[in-house]
Amino acid sequence: MTKYDHIVVGSGISGLTTTLLLALSGHKVLLLEKAPRLGGSLARFTRKGVPFDTGFHFTGGLIHGGLLYRLLSTLGLFDAVEPLFMSANHAHRFVLESEDRIIDLPAGIPHLRQKLKDEFPAEQNAVDGYLDRVIRVCSQTVGMDLNLIGESSPHLEEETISLKSVVDGLTTDPILKSVVYGLGMCYGVKPSEVSFATHARVCFDLYESTARLRDGGESLLQAFEQAFRKLDVEVRCNSWIAECGRVTDRRVESFILNNGQEVSAEATILTIHPNQILQLLPREHLSRAFVDRVESFEPSAGFFTVYGLLEDESDTAFGGTIVSLFPSPDFESLLDPGYRGDPALVICGSTENVRGVTHRAITTFEPSFPSHVAAWKDSRTGHRPPGYAEYKAGRVEAIRRHLGRYDTSYTDCFRVLDSASILTYRDYLHSPEGSAYGIKQKVGQYNLIGKLPIRNLFAAGQSALLPGIAGAMMSSFFVMRSVLGKDSFNRLIASARSMRALPGGA
Amino acid sequence: MTKEEIVTLTNQVFEESFELAPEKLTPQAKIFEELGLDSLDIVDLIVALQKKFKVQIREDERVRTIRTLEDIYAFILALKQEEDPKK
Repeated sequence: MTKYDHIVVGSGISGLTTTLLLALSGHKVLLLEKAPRLGGSLARFTRKGVPFDTGFHFTGGLIHGGLLYRLLSTLGLFDAVEPLFMSANHAHRFVLESEDRIIDLPAGIPHLRQKLKDEFPAEQNAVDGYLDRVIRVCSQTVGMDLNLIGESSPHLEEETISLKSVVDGLTTDPILKSVVYGLGMCYGVKPSEVSFATHARVCFDLYESTARLRDGGESLLQAFEQAFRKLDVEVRCNSWIAECGRVTDRRVESFILNNGQEVSAEATILTIHPNQILQLLPREHLSRAFVDRVESFEPSAGFFTVYGLLEDESDTAFGGTIVSLFPSPDFESLLDPGYRGDPALVICGSTENVRGVTHRAITTFEPSFPSHVAAWKDSRTGHRPPGYAEYKAGRVEAIRRHLGRYDTSYTDCFRVLDSASILTYRDYLHSPEGSAYGIKQKVGQYNLIGKLPIRNLFAAGQSALLPGIAGAMMSSFFVMRSVLGKDSFNRLIASARSMRALPGGA
Repeated sequence: MTKEEIVTLTNQVFEESFELAPEKLTPQAKIFEELGLDSLDIVDLIVALQKKFKVQIREDERVRTIRTLEDIYAFILALKQEEDPKK
């Protein structure tokens, strides 16, 4: 049997962060990834030689002092990536198609506040009321200060009320509501189901600044891989825990891996989907209450995605704006699995240089749910029944038409290279139901985070605390404090910081 | 909701969700020492109680002082009364 201090399961951003924190604190770590390569949705893939993002398209928090900036800096990785910020004047564009109205959101909350007041002159108080509350929630969220992560936090009323109920109390203007709800595409939950606090934590950083990374999530993944090599971390792909060994006093003594090898660790951190955690834990050691709790989690929205090239050079500001097309002002229905109208569509552009040739890569996605692909759910990639290809072709064509209605250059100059349904995401990323943000993080819900019923197993990941890259990383920091203990964790954070403060430091 | 209904439903949660024998479920039973739950099971208990009583329970100070089944009955009764003070 091979002994490790710690085992980390899953190599998305949360698994990578957990592994690096453990290695930086001097522990012998084994990182297991089921897929043939590391990174989960951070990794890119190529079509016709052009790289495309799998699941990490843009983020907030990369300005100096932003949450993601601080998380990456603490890990010593910020200098390894290059943020490409969206346009200051129109970081996000919301196209309200039924109203024939375009609203561009500038970067920075003071600018956003002014812009919204200009757009909605009768709604000055609603704009202030909303943005002030977003700011207040984030300033009162203890974990957003890494020094305080894991400290007990004051109870926020906004945890137990929905976004919709807060906004309904501020305004009756359906267009202003759409603008407030629009970034819900970045967590995939309806306004009536998400807490105001979760919405505020995701949106605050996106309002302040939105950026992509040059070379996408791949650049971040490479920075992690380099750090792992330096720190001698053992990384295994195509590798997973096949079963848990004996459990004594609610602690698992060892695991059998898929290759038959037996391994053990003081603590094992599972950064995989809660449903997969449930499958891994031996049922005889779980209460019905725990099983019911995990089984009650629902998936967040997923996306049907089209990847292609825009063969048109006329837009000089290409890639500087995340464009969201909303066919209906009723955002609640746009994120409803039963909605039958034109879906919302998000368009992200990036400029990719491949061997001296510049390409305008487009990734465009619309919300999708398990019911859309229920007919083929038992099939796997490469072995889909014939109807599935028709489904995909139909959706691609509808998206192409939708793009053309927004901007005619897409009608003639958009070359589709590939598409992905939520089944594609499910099968490539081993994410049950192919949702984009793990479980649906609903108001009043208790997510799975930290110590599990088998007490040397821990849960982290984007389903644990907050959807998205920063939330997934935060969950790793949070769980590390529990695994390492408060003092060791604080020493680790402090030493990571002092190393950076030294000239030539890592 | 009457106290008796609350007792019945709470005990059902312990029987169904934590597989405890009904005879163990006396009002004075200590949930940690006698019913075998530990502090980390509390979240699962809260979720099960939320579902059974259709209330929202925050893991706040009041939850942290709960020691016995009787404490839970009183806590749920208080929550239900806050929800609808007329009843």
